[in-house]
Amino acid sequence: MMNYLAIVGTNSDVSTNRMLLQFMQKHFSNEAKIDLYEIKDLPAFIEKEDIEDAEVDIPEQVKDLSDRITKAEGVIIATPEYDHAIPAVLKSALEWISYTTQTLKNKPVMIVGASHGSLGSSRAQAHLRQILDSPELGARLMPSSEFLLGKSQSAFDNSGSLISAEKVAELEEIFREFVLFTEITTELLSKRTLKKKTKKFSWQE
Amino acid sequence: MKIIAIVGTNAKKSYNRMLLQFMKKHFESRAAIEILEIADVPMFNQSDNQTNSEIIQTFNEKIIASDGVIIATPEYNHSIPSSLKSVLEWLSFELHPLAGKPVMIIGASQGTQGSSRAQLHLRQILDAPGVEANVMPGYEFLLGSAHKAFDESGNLNQEGTIDFLEVCFLRFLRFAKISNQLNQEEEFTYNPGVYEVNAIGHSGKLPMKVSFSETRIESIDIDAKGETEGIADVVFVRIPNKIIEGQTLNVDALSGASETSNAVIDGVAKAVKLAGVNPDILKRRPKPASSQMREDEEYTCDVVVVGGGGAGLSAAAVALQQGASAIVLEKYPAVGGNTIRSGGPVNAADPEWQQQFNENPGERQTIENLLSTDESLIHPEYIDDFHALKAEFTAYQEKFGTQKAHLFDSPLLHRMQTYFGGKRTDLNGSTIYGQYDLVKVLTDNALESVHWLEDIGVEYDKSIVFAPVGALWRRGHKPVKSYGSAFIIALSQYVEENGGNIITDTPVKQLIIEDGKITGVIAAGVNGQKITVHAKAVVLASGGFGANTQMLKEYNTYWSHIDDDIKTTNSYAMTGDGISLGKSAGAALTGMGFTQMMPVADPETGELFSGLQVPPENFVIVNKKGERFVNEFSGRDVLTKAAIEQGSLFYLIADDEIKKTAANTSQEKIDRQVEAGTLFRADTIEELALKVNMDPQVLRTTIDKYNSYVDAGFDPEFHKDTFSLKVEKAPFYATPRKPAVHHTMGGIKIDTKTRVLDENGQPIAHLYAAGEVAGGIHAGNRLGGNALTDIFTFGRIAGKTAVEEMKGL
Repeated sequence: MMNYLAIVGTNSDVSTNRMLLQFMQKHFSNEAKIDLYEIKDLPAFIEKEDIEDAEVDIPEQVKDLSDRITKAEGVIIATPEYDHAIPAVLKSALEWISYTTQTLKNKPVMIVGASHGSLGSSRAQAHLRQILDSPELGARLMPSSEFLLGKSQSAFDNSGSLISAEKVAELEEIFREFVLFTEITTELLSKRTLKKKTKKFSWQE
Repeated sequence: MKIIAIVGTNAKKSYNRMLLQFMKKHFESRAAIEILEIADVPMFNQSDNQTNSEIIQTFNEKIIASDGVIIATPEYNHSIPSSLKSVLEWLSFELHPLAGKPVMIIGASQGTQGSSRAQLHLRQILDAPGVEANVMPGYEFLLGSAHKAFDESGNLNQEGTIDFLEVCFLRFLRFAKISNQLNQEEEFTYNPGVYEVNAIGHSGKLPMKVSFSETRIESIDIDAKGETEGIADVVFVRIPNKIIEGQTLNVDALSGASETSNAVIDGVAKAVKLAGVNPDILKRRPKPASSQMREDEEYTCDVVVVGGGGAGLSAAAVALQQGASAIVLEKYPAVGGNTIRSGGPVNAADPEWQQQFNENPGERQTIENLLSTDESLIHPEYIDDFHALKAEFTAYQEKFGTQKAHLFDSPLLHRMQTYFGGKRTDLNGSTIYGQYDLVKVLTDNALESVHWLEDIGVEYDKSIVFAPVGALWRRGHKPVKSYGSAFIIALSQYVEENGGNIITDTPVKQLIIEDGKITGVIAAGVNGQKITVHAKAVVLASGGFGANTQMLKEYNTYWSHIDDDIKTTNSYAMTGDGISLGKSAGAALTGMGFTQMMPVADPETGELFSGLQVPPENFVIVNKKGERFVNEFSGRDVLTKAAIEQGSLFYLIADDEIKKTAANTSQEKIDRQVEAGTLFRADTIEELALKVNMDPQVLRTTIDKYNSYVDAGFDPEFHKDTFSLKVEKAPFYATPRKPAVHHTMGGIKIDTKTRVLDENGQPIAHLYAAGEVAGGIHAGNRLGGNALTDIFTFGRIAGKTAVEEMKGL
């Protein structure tokens, strides 16, 4: 059984991205333990005045998120699309991780997204890939696999299940590939002898 | 030129800030650059709308007033910082100050990239719908190695860099000038005339007539027969008024009716197009002036009432009658609450009037059954009334013997039925029953309430005595006008004509408590402003919490299960606001675990009056197989429990004669529903069965048996004891039904004077509660028709007590 952390990429009370992750949690319960994580209680990211402070006084909630990422074998992120990009609140969570513990380094990550329109958050997902690929985050993104859920407000039935059998099949295929990708990536990393450099950095210095 | 420059980070130390400060100084002879900081902007959250906060409003106003905007962005993780993204989200949510605004993007970073990737992202973001800025193409200014780019006094230290920045900035001034011409409204004239269009509303097409002169939209008429009453008809007045006031299509949807609001706006847009004008021009115009008012308001009065339904309006009307001043605050765009959605009959024993009507078969049996209750099962405070009722009924029996008698009723029967009907045991084994003193006040003053409403201006149809579903008895006084609108129209007119003030769109957020005393309320106004009402008394009349599924689940101790997506017959305004307000002042709650389901609600909408909603003596209830499974004349929860056991969905079978007894409908409405497939009609019972996937033979047998029971006046299977019509005359109908949340019996604890009580049973000074927000009367199950009796009786008492105690009487 794989153990994954699934990050709900919004602070909205009503979210089809949350519903999508809840569906995955239920639907794949025989293959993986998926824990949902809400980012709404994280403080907004703000850079420290002194670069030396980056590792000190990390907010409790950020530490908690870092620990959960460390313990998980992989991370699933569900992002809505605000103004062609990922929501500020999700970006803020990623900024905390990259600025403090950098626990997403080499972590297998799968991206999914839902949107009310027909495009299914495609542009936000492309942005998110570029962001996760930045040196301070350095996540291991599963290549060339997209799960875009368009018209998400009518995609679920009353019990929160995806209605379209085609979409379910697509999600199953991608998820199984992600399980495989997690296994292979973990094995690959265990053979690496490179030492991880903990580089202190700041964006402004 | 006035330029706004936004520092794209909340960091205390920022090269982007230094760059903007340099530009402000360097270009001061060419443009006035004002630098805005984003550190105090809260994180965007659509569930916590802070559009009206000072900081967001400042950004909005300053950007609108500027000739152009410069955004300087650093690069965090290959993209723009979250703090900048959050600002842009606020500025594309409800406000759109960047729409059509010329924007220049610059950026500085300590690496060689100069925030190149962040700048590209920012371009895409500014291009998104809702932001729609007009970004200057080309002329990329990227400042790499920013930590080496400035001298000690904050000036750029490379001549080449300064030269290029000048090229870019001067180009931007030119770009802004030309780009702003695009924002000037193009000239147009309408082709005058009246244009007919169809907007798509909640329940089908909305035919509209829009008339134009050369320069203006002159009038908008909507034919809204198909829409849900209550809130929808406010939309048809309010939205057209706003469109005409501002000559704009930039109009906000009403809360609780966004779909219908947008249908009206789209319909007018279609008409504008027919009149030869591009509707986009009107969509870009500013909102009407009345939507932009955000001045806080303060009022002072004697009695402030929270909620403009039947209870609240009655309380206000009585306060006015007592010579006090009154303000009613209503959360929704229109008054009426759940009262306007109710069927209309008010229960009140009125023997003088009821004697005109013959008894129905089985009615005497009903009373005999009630009177044969084992006295050990009756609570002691009700025993004397039980004996007195026995004496009343014995006299009636002796008078008529075996002859056909008139309909029997008395306040005592009403009281005992309310008591027996409300007695329930929940899942934890706790038993609840109606509090005697409150039930006595209800049943003794019911008729007075009916008469008082008549004085206010309600007209009753006295030719028929009504028993709504779950009423257990025919004692309903039904107004001539359909639904509860009769009461609301009469009461709201009375309140306004007698100097009362009704303020809609104004949800009350908190009670004002000074030195432990309640001195008024604070509410939010239609445009988010603060409305303060100072008052000597506060009456909570805000209804129950039937539309708040989370709260229902939290308190529920009665139903084995409440679905997350359960429908409700209630207005969506019923979210328990008044209960929370009461709790904030220390009010005790009572009976909160007991909620009533309406067994016969629309499976899709929760509405009561879709299909054929007939009196229960004419209910023929069958399950999905076509078999009867319950005594149709049972109380609401018996019907609900039976329905849930059958899988919730069931059908009401009717014939052409039964159809004529359906409430609040018309042939036109019936035909429309048959066409839409929400009601089924056929010429034979067998064909009807096929339409709803039943075995024709099963339904045939069920109906034959039912008809024979009507003839016999006796139902050996389910013991239905009150019959009226048989199912025999084509065409036949099947109305699909499903239980939905209907009434929350529990609520704030009150005494007979409607004073709100605290946990120690002591009244909380100057705080009163009446109607569904209060508990204790209906206990575990409310009789159909008793809700209106409750709100008008206790609403009146609340108004009276509030004024008496205020005057120190």
